[in-house]
Amino acid sequence: MEKAINRQQILLQHLNPSLPSSSSEQNHNLAVSASACLAGDSAAYQRTNLFGDDVVIVAAYRTALCKSKRGGFKDTYPDDLLAPVLRAVIEKTNLNPSEVGDIVVGTVLAPGSQRASECRMAAFYAGFPETVPVRTVNRQCSSGLQAVADVAAAIKAGFYDIGIGAGLESMTTNPMAWDGSVNPRVKQMEQAQNCLLPMGVTSENVAHRFGVTRQEQDQAAVESHRKAAAATASGKFKDEIIPVNTKIVDPKTGDEKPVTISVDDGIRPNASVSDLAKLKPVFKKDGTTTAGNSSQVSDGAGAVLLMKRSVAMQKGLPILGVFRTFSAVGVDPAIMGVGPAVAIPAAVKAADLELDDIDLFEINEAFASQFVYCRKKLELDPVKINVNGGAMAIGHPLGATGARCVATLLHEMQRRGKDCRFGVISMCIGTGMGAAAVFERGDCTDELCNARKIETNNFLSKDSR
Amino acid sequence: MPVFKTPFNGYSVRFSPFYESRLAVATAQNFGILGNGRVHVIDLAPSGPVINELIAFDTADGVYDVAWSESHDSVLVAAVADGSMKVYDTALPPQANPVRSLKEHAREVHGLDYNPTRRDSFLSASWDDSVKLWTLDRPTSLRTFREHAYCVYSVAWNPKHADVFASASGDCTVRIWDVREPGSTMIIPGHEHEILSCDWNKYDECLIATASVDKSIKIWDVRNYRVPVSVLNGHGYAVRKIKFSPHRRNLLVSCSYDMTVCLWDFMVEDALVGRYDHHTEFAVGVDLSVLVDGLMASTGWDELVYVWQQGMDPRAA
Repeated sequence: MEKAINRQQILLQHLNPSLPSSSSEQNHNLAVSASACLAGDSAAYQRTNLFGDDVVIVAAYRTALCKSKRGGFKDTYPDDLLAPVLRAVIEKTNLNPSEVGDIVVGTVLAPGSQRASECRMAAFYAGFPETVPVRTVNRQCSSGLQAVADVAAAIKAGFYDIGIGAGLESMTTNPMAWDGSVNPRVKQMEQAQNCLLPMGVTSENVAHRFGVTRQEQDQAAVESHRKAAAATASGKFKDEIIPVNTKIVDPKTGDEKPVTISVDDGIRPNASVSDLAKLKPVFKKDGTTTAGNSSQVSDGAGAVLLMKRSVAMQKGLPILGVFRTFSAVGVDPAIMGVGPAVAIPAAVKAADLELDDIDLFEINEAFASQFVYCRKKLELDPVKINVNGGAMAIGHPLGATGARCVATLLHEMQRRGKDCRFGVISMCIGTGMGAAAVFERGDCTDELCNARKIETNNFLSKDSR
Repeated sequence: MPVFKTPFNGYSVRFSPFYESRLAVATAQNFGILGNGRVHVIDLAPSGPVINELIAFDTADGVYDVAWSESHDSVLVAAVADGSMKVYDTALPPQANPVRSLKEHAREVHGLDYNPTRRDSFLSASWDDSVKLWTLDRPTSLRTFREHAYCVYSVAWNPKHADVFASASGDCTVRIWDVREPGSTMIIPGHEHEILSCDWNKYDECLIATASVDKSIKIWDVRNYRVPVSVLNGHGYAVRKIKFSPHRRNLLVSCSYDMTVCLWDFMVEDALVGRYDHHTEFAVGVDLSVLVDGLMASTGWDELVYVWQQGMDPRAA
């Protein structure tokens, strides 16, 4: 340390010469001394935010999302939706597929065992050897995000080093339905009974209880379409969408036509509030929830490749994002749409951050009512939310949404540069839950750009609060 | 004009005397105060304004200066802040480097100069108040010149007389030495403040320039060293390094803590010929190419090395 102080003294003398004589250094009474490091507060990722055991995302891709029953994937088998994205995460990173430790697929509506088998088949189609296992996970609408979180947790637990979290839903093949009879016991418990409420009814409940007007909901829908259309037109989605070669069968003639689907087909660039105002409410007389301000029923898939940062660096793979925290919470089933308003603060707190620290949000637009409510409740800046549109325009294939949001969020954060450090994905979950996850930019961040304005300053460090 | 970004703060840049497009850069971590150092050997690509790194050598302490050997085209010497000097050979594989470590100075080695006429020996200037003479084949120094009272910042061989050199020191004097003589042959009390750099004129072996903490550069004729031939004012802070042009008799270049690199013509009334303010931190190293007329390079604490043609904007694409 002495040496450092001496060097500093010599350099200081060059800049601020004191006595113009040839005296030695002892004469100069310079106030240069070593002191304790004053470099900042206990902010979460102060000096460096890169650690070898971080779980990082090196690739995230999705298929286009298409309207179920009428859109581009109406004649596509579900495993043919999953196989291309699984193939893409391997091909684009030049990874040896046998190194993948597990593939976890979030998927909701299909019968459990059958869908699990279909996923195993999809892995084979995608070129994975038989040595790579596959499983599914179902937490309703958050299944895609839950899959990514499960893989991240397994990597952190040391079960394997490389994993794929994916999401798949073909609502054409498996529409929302209840098979078999309902246990009469539900009548004895309101909360259990409310689990059977159609999602649209919960949307009306949220709109009614929290005063979200029809106007606000339609405006949110128009915004979603506008942003999604702008993103598609400017080519932003090209980075994340994997074209799928499939077929369309003409319902009248039965003719099969080969097609390549690479564009979300649910987006209406010219949606307007006046057009949406004409739509009739679907779930409640004099209600506010219409087909226009609800998420679309869609088919699609997404896949995210996760691994330890040390493995990614060793393989020379560019890092798209870092998985930080995940939080699943429970809320009243009758107003399930409030899920994000509870889950987002939980996930952000678990990451030791504040809501203000988050630069970009992907909040699933299951219904405009709940989306607007969550946005208002958390007092989020609308400019940061769903910047490339949301489920009302793009679609909500239940199990795939979480994984598709990871692709959209991380690619957008990448585009925005070092200023965009943290992102959050969140969705409400049918039967009364919410889930949220915090992601961080892949490479190191610019602390100056991410500096936040201090509102009040009581001169106490963050630790003392 | 090509720019090279170094991971550490730049300290010195030198053109190779053998290859027109090769340079060596001395860098040190944390502004040279604490941490490691690195020597980069870089090449200007023939096509386009790109600089490629040929090889880099890491050192345990900051590298304050670097000098190319005049006898072997791939050999360079680095002055390290821990008092040692490392000899590198770029023709050998990285594991074989450094070829030699010469450790005798008690404190930081701040300046190096290789003898351009005799080509076999080089000098090191150290903050332990001494100058040492070395050759590549001997592990120990040939001579130690200890007369200065404070840090010696810079040494420069005379371009014509192979045994004569000058040393600039923080004791505010410049001493002229002859290796054949036991002590200094001349003492020029050039400034009232520390003298950070000195260099001989390449066309007139009696003219020497000194750069000082008093922000001025003075040109002296050693035959009459009471009064300077010329005083060049214009820098806002201490002048860190000066170099006379190998191609023009009256031209010299300087870099300073005021973040600028200046060109001077000392025979003219208004001596400041050009000023380049491309650096955003202290400009501490500057060099003029011997092989290409007008090609200059500078480096600074902003971790950038610029190479440009005199007269052009160093930051132009």
